[in-house]
Amino acid sequence: MSRIEQFSYDNAIVKKFAYATALWGVVGMLVGLWAAIELIWPAANLNTAMTTFGRIRPLHTNAAIFAFVGNGIFMGVYYSLQRLLKARMFSDLLSNIHFWGWQLIIVAAAVTLPLGITSAHEYAELEWPIDIAIALIWVVFGLNMFGTILKRREQHLYVAIWFYIATWVTVTMLHIGNNIELPVSFLKSYPVFAGVQDALVQWWYGHNAVAFFLTTPYLGLMYYFLPKAANRPVYSYKLSIIHFWALIFIYIWAGPHHLLYTSLPDWAQSLGMVFSLMLIAPSWGGMLNGLLTLRGAWDRVRTDPVLKFMVVAVTAYGMATLEGPMLSIKSVNAISHYTDWTIAHVHIGTLGWNGFLTFGILYYLIPRMFNTKLYSTKLANNHFWIGTLGILFYAIPLYWAGWTQSLMWKEFLPEGILKYTNFLETVTQILPMYRMRALGGSLYLVGVFIMIYNIIKTVKSGQFVANEPAEAPALEVAAKHTGEHWHRWIERRPVQMLVVSLIAVIIGGLVEIFPMMLVDDNVPKIEAVQPYTPLELQGRDLYIREGCLGCHSQMVRPFRSETARYGDYSKSGEFIYDRPFLWGSKRTGPDLHREGGLRNDAWHFNHMYDPRSTSPGSIMPPYPWLFRRDLDVSSTPAKIRTLRKLGTPYPEGYDQQAIDDLQKQAKGIAETLRTQGVELEGLENKEIVALIAYLQRLGTDIKPKPQAGQ
Amino acid sequence: MVLLPLLQAAYAGAQDAQAAAADGGAKSTGVMEWALDNVVIIIGAMVIVGGFAAITYVNNMLLQIQKIRLLQEMGIEALEEVKLISRESWFKRIYKRMTRVVPVDKEKDVMFHHEYDGIRELDNVLPPWWVALFYITIGIAVIYIGYYHVFGKGMTSTQAYEYEVKEAEQAVNAYLATRADQVDENTVEALTDPSQVALGQSIFQNKCTPCHGPDGGGNTIGPNLTDQYWIHGGGIKNVFRTIKYGVPEKGMISWQTQLTASDMQKVASFVWSLQGSTPTDPKAPQGDLWQPETTAAQAENVAQDTTAAAPNN
Repeated sequence: MSRIEQFSYDNAIVKKFAYATALWGVVGMLVGLWAAIELIWPAANLNTAMTTFGRIRPLHTNAAIFAFVGNGIFMGVYYSLQRLLKARMFSDLLSNIHFWGWQLIIVAAAVTLPLGITSAHEYAELEWPIDIAIALIWVVFGLNMFGTILKRREQHLYVAIWFYIATWVTVTMLHIGNNIELPVSFLKSYPVFAGVQDALVQWWYGHNAVAFFLTTPYLGLMYYFLPKAANRPVYSYKLSIIHFWALIFIYIWAGPHHLLYTSLPDWAQSLGMVFSLMLIAPSWGGMLNGLLTLRGAWDRVRTDPVLKFMVVAVTAYGMATLEGPMLSIKSVNAISHYTDWTIAHVHIGTLGWNGFLTFGILYYLIPRMFNTKLYSTKLANNHFWIGTLGILFYAIPLYWAGWTQSLMWKEFLPEGILKYTNFLETVTQILPMYRMRALGGSLYLVGVFIMIYNIIKTVKSGQFVANEPAEAPALEVAAKHTGEHWHRWIERRPVQMLVVSLIAVIIGGLVEIFPMMLVDDNVPKIEAVQPYTPLELQGRDLYIREGCLGCHSQMVRPFRSETARYGDYSKSGEFIYDRPFLWGSKRTGPDLHREGGLRNDAWHFNHMYDPRSTSPGSIMPPYPWLFRRDLDVSSTPAKIRTLRKLGTPYPEGYDQQAIDDLQKQAKGIAETLRTQGVELEGLENKEIVALIAYLQRLGTDIKPKPQAGQ
Repeated sequence: MVLLPLLQAAYAGAQDAQAAAADGGAKSTGVMEWALDNVVIIIGAMVIVGGFAAITYVNNMLLQIQKIRLLQEMGIEALEEVKLISRESWFKRIYKRMTRVVPVDKEKDVMFHHEYDGIRELDNVLPPWWVALFYITIGIAVIYIGYYHVFGKGMTSTQAYEYEVKEAEQAVNAYLATRADQVDENTVEALTDPSQVALGQSIFQNKCTPCHGPDGGGNTIGPNLTDQYWIHGGGIKNVFRTIKYGVPEKGMISWQTQLTASDMQKVASFVWSLQGSTPTDPKAPQGDLWQPETTAAQAENVAQDTTAAAPNN
């Protein structure tokens, strides 16, 4: 028998992450509520650029995913990893660099996103300097985790740690893969991939941000905290093994289900769909192992708020991971995509699974670290019920809204004309549901405030144990036991575990992405498609800055109801100069891919200044600052040079001529606007002119020339 | 949950069968089509039926417990009650087999010796129904990829789109053939019935006011419609044509995909009825003075001129 060693667990770092989780949770949800209110009451943006929907929507998603859930992951990992390995964290210094570095990144995001500094890749909006900071801090986390694993006193790695390892290695791969970009300046870059390829890489990332940031680390946390809280053995070790490997291998392939019926080649769409279907069982493996672990403890679920939260979390996980594959079926996706159905779906996941599991863990951790009892079980129960009601009030109206709107989009009159030709009709129809959603979100937030009060009271009543003493025998030399399960082999070998996980997650990406890069047939070239003019390019970057893609897609799907509404369906060859691609994922407003030439310049001018003047009842915010600010033309040459390096065929030396061309085109548009009765001093220098240039260009490359009368 | 993928596969089959039906004439595709068209309702129905089943199950269970308790109170052992169910139904046996598990009171037999921070693990088998589910989804995946991409049987997205459009076109044409109120720019006449013009006015209020003002006086976007000057020609036929095809380079959109022919006739009639009215804030005249005696040939010229003069932005 080896000698018993004395050591201590670092609770101080767990406490820091726990507080950050609660704080950022409130911030992220408040911003979400604000965004929800802007959708029913556009004036709530305070007529300020920084607080307009297009800019705070990414702030909300980033805060919820990376600040709230991110800190939640680190809180849970730092607590459970030490105990599962019988070792203190490898380095307190690395722990603190990790903590403060991550908070700084969050602050940087909270500053840059409202300023409109964004790369337009959903859930990867942050610009390149912050991307690099994220990579560095992520490596610090990895070093700290692996350092701890290597000096462990427990021979085998528990299933929770498999999930932590897979999370770490996959997020590293995804983050790097989706942020390969060429800087234009300190806070602006263009992605290396364009159009369809950019879209595929983005959703390979975007889908797996859900998979490997919101799912696998939280499954790891579930595998530690649920059996601990229930004091029950894990239901099935075999199930853990099979569902872990199947989950990480299959998940990676499912990204293209975000691009069904787009210009992505059919084969890639089909792969995304079938791998999503095959994901049902591996996902449910996690749910089953969680729920069945509670066998024999269900009586305590009635009284223990920690278990209550966990049961709803795991159930929400099961519902969301069944619904996800259903939404990936092409014929269902034809209905759900671009609608609030998707928003409802992801909030079952985030509010239910991530939120409730986080709350359960907080209620479990805080009293233990402060060596006391929870201040009020009653308040925790109230939190549980208010939160559950909040989820229902959030999700059900949005499901309803999604179905309603989608069916309205698709309904034809027998004359072959769309029944609801005005997109706006389908928006005003669902506004009552948007109001209910804001109510649901408020309820959920009230629950969180109750929790924070409860936590503060608990903290005040206890004594914090910064270094929790522990003891365990030193690690013996690893040895195989006869008759052991074959999987025990790799559980003793963290490095092999890392390598095999990486292989498992790399295959899907390689099979889907490489043919898209290398085989030209996948993106048939269209001769008529030309690069953007300098003015259009600047207008496009304004479109990105204002977050227009948060509400407007640029992808007409090959359905009769869409070609009748918008025009010819989008072709992959039309996007080859789109860096980044701007297909969007939600239509709060109409698709814009065929917007060019549809209306005159004055219409756009008036519409951007006051959307309700041209579209009564619209919920789009006005953009008065585009009419005040002069366009920054000085960035044009650098942008042209960067795009040239990436392969956009601007002539050599065009960067020198670009500003002249830009001003010439701006003058022309200003002239047209004046003849249409628009009056504004210095019109040709204003940002609005660039945006109009871009909007009027959209989708016109292959548009048949309009004919007035026949 | 397997039903939906099956539906999808069925959809593929239905499409194929439809293609065959085009020359064969077999109408066996109705069910599939109906199922596909009502996929949301079907899911909803499944959820409702499932919910009822669950409630019924729980209710029966509670009744059973209550019954046993009553029997116990009367001194009859629950065991005897159980004995009454001598043979389990087929469904029960399948259910038991698919949810095979070591009971909680015997779990010590399957508990592993290792523990992590006090967490123990059991050696329960994979839930058999779960394994079956996994295999079924894999099977569907293989069939789907094989059908569409190995054997190339199914339609591509583009083919499906073209098929959808063609089919709809036939249906629309068949419908229009039964309708008498079809007019075009050559046959259109101004309606004078006040109720018809009023209908045209309501369409105008709905669709045209953002650019032409609430009383047709025009605004920064669209021209005045009440004066005698017309950019694309006056008269009911020209107004109808401008509404129908639009003048995209000038910002007037084409309405033929949004309004029926008779609706365009109504709104054109309303617009023409505005001649000589006095809007509150009229825009200065644009275009040429329209004289009713202008011949159709001249009107043609007007249309061509605007096309040629279109600014190329």
